[in-house]
Parts: sequence; structure tokens; C-alpha cells
Amino acid sequence: MNQRSLHSDMGVIVKTTARATIPLIGIFGAYVVSHGHLTPGGGFQGGATIAGAGILFLLAFGLGEMKKKYDHHLYSALEGLGGLVFLGMAMLGLGVAFFYNTLWHNGPFNGEPGTLLSAGYLPIMNLAVGLKVFTGLMSAMVAIAMYRRWKE
Amino acid sequence: MIEGVFFYSALVVMIGAFLALLRVFFGPSVPDRVVGVDTLNTLVVAGMVLLGAAYDRTIYIDIAIVYALLSYIGTLAIAKYLQGGLR
Repeated sequence: MNQRSLHSDMGVIVKTTARATIPLIGIFGAYVVSHGHLTPGGGFQGGATIAGAGILFLLAFGLGEMKKKYDHHLYSALEGLGGLVFLGMAMLGLGVAFFYNTLWHNGPFNGEPGTLLSAGYLPIMNLAVGLKVFTGLMSAMVAIAMYRRWKE
Repeated sequence: MIEGVFFYSALVVMIGAFLALLRVFFGPSVPDRVVGVDTLNTLVVAGMVLLGAAYDRTIYIDIAIVYALLSYIGTLAIAKYLQGGLR
């Protein structure tokens, strides 16, 4: 059996298919995140879907290619930013109550129910949770992939 | 409006899924089970689309698309593990 490692990439068919599929999964995950208040899914499901695109990149192109694209500090900062945006949206209506949806009651996002901008802070919270889930899952997967203490 | 035809076709797909599940249970080698699971994934996607048509809900198709995309990644991970990668 040829000893491929995680650092090496897979065959040319898998790589070409991954080049076609990764943007598709990413765009579909972004659709799931941004329509979290209208269709099934939301922040966690969409973020996990986009992280699936990242895992496909890691599998198809190998860890060596992933290390060039992956910046640990950027992903860590973005994960913190996702949590902070969620808390900031929760704090916006603090004059009335915690988690008061002031963006819907007297804010810009009070459209007709059923349209995209109709749920107040919910799309922004979905985006924040999606960003946090995607960066967290990608950091965890790359950390697990780089764990190099195999007992031969 | 709920169409009965889609339920019958979903039942046929379910019988096929049980046959694929038999290969997962009794497959003598690991690649047999992987092929069984891959077939099962495709049949589950077909069942999701048929049930989405049966219940007349367009939004159920989204879950089928997500499942189709992510089951491909799962099969790819198992394949890379079996060919000696991931080490």
C-alpha cells in the first residue's frame, strides 16, 4: 500500500471535483445562514455546512496546502468576533430588556414578515453564529489534523 | 395537497435502502460496508426529495441538498482513510 499521508493531496479527479464543489457548498451554506429565519437551518447548520467545504479542502488538497491558507490568529479573532457580535446584538435594546429586539420594533429591519429583512437582529445573530461555528470547527479540524504523535 | 404517488415511491426507495442496509450489516469487508453506506446516502437523498414532494413543502429540498453535499465529504474521508491517508 502506498504510504500517502495527510500532507499529500488526493487524485486529480477528487481535486477537480473539489474545485467545483467547494464554492457550491460555501454559497449554499451562506444561503442557509442568511435565510435562517425563513427556511430550515440557521447559524449552526449553515456554519457547519461551510465548515464541510473547508474539510473537503483539507481532505482533497492535503494539510500542506491547508497550512498555507489557514491563519490561526485570524480564525481565532474571527471566532471571538462572532461571539461579540451576538452579544452586541443582544445588548442593543438594553434600555428595555436584555435580548429586546429593538431593530424590529423601531429599527431598520422591520420589513414585511416573510421577507429577508423582517426579523430584526435575527439575521445578524445568524451571521455571527455562522461565523463562529465555521471558524471554530475549522480551527478544531486543522488542530486535529496537525496533531503529530502517532505511535508507529 | 398530499399526493399518494410520492408516498408509494418513497416506500419503494425505503425498501431499496433496507437492501443497502443489509450490505452494511453483513458486508464481509470494510469497502463493502462503505459502498453500502454510499448507496444508502443516495437513497436517503432520493427519499428526502420524494417526501418533500409528498408533503408539498419546497423547503424540505434544502435539507436534501445539504445531505447530498455532506455525505460526499463523509465518503471521501473514509476513502482517504482506507487508502492509507490520514496518518
